[in-house]
Amino acid sequence: MTGVAPLKSGAPADGGPAPPPAAPARRRGRRAGFDRVSLIVVFVGVPFAGYVLLVLYPFTQAAFYSLTAWTGFSPDQPFVGLDNYTRIFADNLFLQALGNSVLLLVVVPLVTLTLSFALAALVTFGGPTTGAVRGLGSSSFYRVVSFFPYVVPAIVIGIIWSQIYNPANGLLNGALTTLGLQRFQDFAWLGQADTAMAASTVVIIWSFIGFYMVLFVAAIKGIPAELFEAARLDGAGRLRSAVHVAIPGIAGSIRTAYIYMGILALDAFVYMQALNPSGGPDNSTLVITQQIYRTAFSQGQFGLACAMGVVLAVVTFLFVAAIFTVSRLLRGPLESRT
Amino acid sequence: MSDSFTTPTTGVQRRAFLRFSAAAGIAAPLSLSLASCAASGSGPTDAGSAPAATGEASADNPFGVAEGSSVEAVIFDGGYGIDYATFAASIFEEVRAGSTVEVTGSTQIAQQMQPRFVGGNPPDLLDNNGANAIGLSAIVDGLEDLSDLVQAQNLEGTVIADTLYPGVLDVGMYNGKLAALNYVLTVYALWYSQTLFDENGWTPPTTWEEALELGAAAQEQGKYLFTWGTEAASYYLTLAVDSAIKEGGDEVRLAMDNLQPDAWSLPAVQSVLAAMEQVVERGYMRPGGAGTQFTAAQAQWSQAQEALLYPSGSWIENEMAEQTLEDFQMTGAPSPRVSEDSTLPYESIRNTPNEPFVVPTAAANAAGGKEMLRIMLSPETATEFARTKLASTIVRDTVPPDAFGSTALASQIAMLEAAGDQTFSWNFVATYGMTPQVNVLWNSFLSGQSVAADLASGMQALFDGIREDDAVVKIEIS
Repeated sequence: MTGVAPLKSGAPADGGPAPPPAAPARRRGRRAGFDRVSLIVVFVGVPFAGYVLLVLYPFTQAAFYSLTAWTGFSPDQPFVGLDNYTRIFADNLFLQALGNSVLLLVVVPLVTLTLSFALAALVTFGGPTTGAVRGLGSSSFYRVVSFFPYVVPAIVIGIIWSQIYNPANGLLNGALTTLGLQRFQDFAWLGQADTAMAASTVVIIWSFIGFYMVLFVAAIKGIPAELFEAARLDGAGRLRSAVHVAIPGIAGSIRTAYIYMGILALDAFVYMQALNPSGGPDNSTLVITQQIYRTAFSQGQFGLACAMGVVLAVVTFLFVAAIFTVSRLLRGPLESRT
Repeated sequence: MSDSFTTPTTGVQRRAFLRFSAAAGIAAPLSLSLASCAASGSGPTDAGSAPAATGEASADNPFGVAEGSSVEAVIFDGGYGIDYATFAASIFEEVRAGSTVEVTGSTQIAQQMQPRFVGGNPPDLLDNNGANAIGLSAIVDGLEDLSDLVQAQNLEGTVIADTLYPGVLDVGMYNGKLAALNYVLTVYALWYSQTLFDENGWTPPTTWEEALELGAAAQEQGKYLFTWGTEAASYYLTLAVDSAIKEGGDEVRLAMDNLQPDAWSLPAVQSVLAAMEQVVERGYMRPGGAGTQFTAAQAQWSQAQEALLYPSGSWIENEMAEQTLEDFQMTGAPSPRVSEDSTLPYESIRNTPNEPFVVPTAAANAAGGKEMLRIMLSPETATEFARTKLASTIVRDTVPPDAFGSTALASQIAMLEAAGDQTFSWNFVATYGMTPQVNVLWNSFLSGQSVAADLASGMQALFDGIREDDAVVKIEIS
């Protein structure tokens, strides 16, 4: 847009007597028009067509299936209206799965990002308080080490941790019993209703801390160093620098990270399927995505599964809307301080 | 990377970029939650697309396979692999000269076959098995009745039905139609090490009382009676239901298989659960099963010998072949009874064959699919299967007395012979895809977090939920 505007405003500025102003304007308009059209076609039209075909159309299709009793294996798609929705909201197992997913949504991003931010602060400005603002010694080593889990595929992480949690010869119980905690002999971390969810959550958090730490490190480095120095001269300690300089400076990154992490927590399929494929003790680790998969493929009720998918999509929208609202509300006070 | 700060960049671009990436992020869960439901075949298509022209039916070509036709078989590539199917395919190509058979292996049956069933071009023969099998009630209406297959003659001229073990077709009957042919004989038993039992002078328990005595003897040696894994807690459901059916007979079997409202309060069922509750209470279950992967748990029995008995289907020998102690001599025994005067004798046994083969009606060459099954059920192919897989098909007399050196296979055949026609079959867990929910209840019970009464009411609630759900196609069992 900005490229086009000066051309138009430039036309009357010629002020030459000979050509009537309309003609060159039209010519220029045509040229601009071609530019514009080709730009729109290549950079907007093609991606948008792809988006409609590959994203919007499947969404609409899935939303339509959610109104049918389609089994998934026959061409018949009997229309049942909102029946599937009344059924899933009367289904205790679905509600439990929904509850578990929401629990993950609340806990996982908060804990992961808090820990990631703390680590990022340590390696960027948490170092010695004399000399230039810098991180701890050998912080690039820590950065590489903590990024490691992110490189490992989720399913492999799930398998590794299910071995760590193995009651009989897992690393965790081995360490605890060596320390003299005999009650952890054969303790089934993933097999007790009161520990299974916490144990699974730890795995997800563990695998993402390093990635978000690296992301935050990059963002914090985008903050002018003199802000940290000025804060220090004013007598701010590390915690105060973190809260009043670093966080406002990377608010955009935090919001994006929160949304990504929340979406991941709402999915959590691979981790949960690897750690506790049947939904965990008393279904305490069953998440919506597992329930969708099971309903569609092993119980042959695609219509019902699609209704669950629509509910999950709505939950996701609400979450994203909530994050944007919160960050907008916070932006005022935080930005006025910097 | 250095740890000092870089020159400050303009915050605007970065923020704009982040806002864009946040927007992009929103699309991800949507595609995850919604696109998974999308059908790849676009809506109802020409479902009745012309099947390949069939040839003339005759005694040696009972289904009228056309000259030079091609057959597509999709085989579950699990414990038995697919080479037995390629072996059958090579015989097919000899018998029906000029025709070709394409055998494909798959472990993602439901995912890969779903669009093909919707699109009306399913394979000619499908081995619907494994963790990703299609729940049969979802496709049963689109499957061929295989009754004409078992009434046909095999390659040696004997009617196939006369060559099979008794009762092996029942599990494939869906409301009066033989919709699936379960190819591999599967006997459910209590498995133990003959060597270990001989050393200690133990015998497998014939009643639950004996089981408790054996548990006490195991405890003296620091061992346990049973072990279990979290994904396979349902094996104890199998043990309980088998034992209850022996105690109460057909009444129990029908109540279970038809998900009746009183199934879990029948006296026979209650008495079995009470006995199992004793096993748990006295600490005869190896602890930690609810958090142990099932093959790791099975190795506690077959390799570490921390547990004496393991209830399972006869696939167990194959499954644990790499993790079994040398000279283990895996042997099976029928599940224990509650009382000496049970309705069915101790020797009676659950025989529910596995590997369900189906022929979709919409397949291009359904006759070829049936012909492939006819060849698989002929003695030459069935014997080859038994020899290479150390497991018997449903065809009788394909296993020699030495059972190719396998003690488990030998004891499987011996148990079947001892049972005679006193075998029974049930299949509600697979029919209604109940395994995950069943595992949840049984893990709690076996680890002592719930008692028999909780288990019974939980199982009953599960039954009631499915029975009263009109959206689930019910299979009437008689």
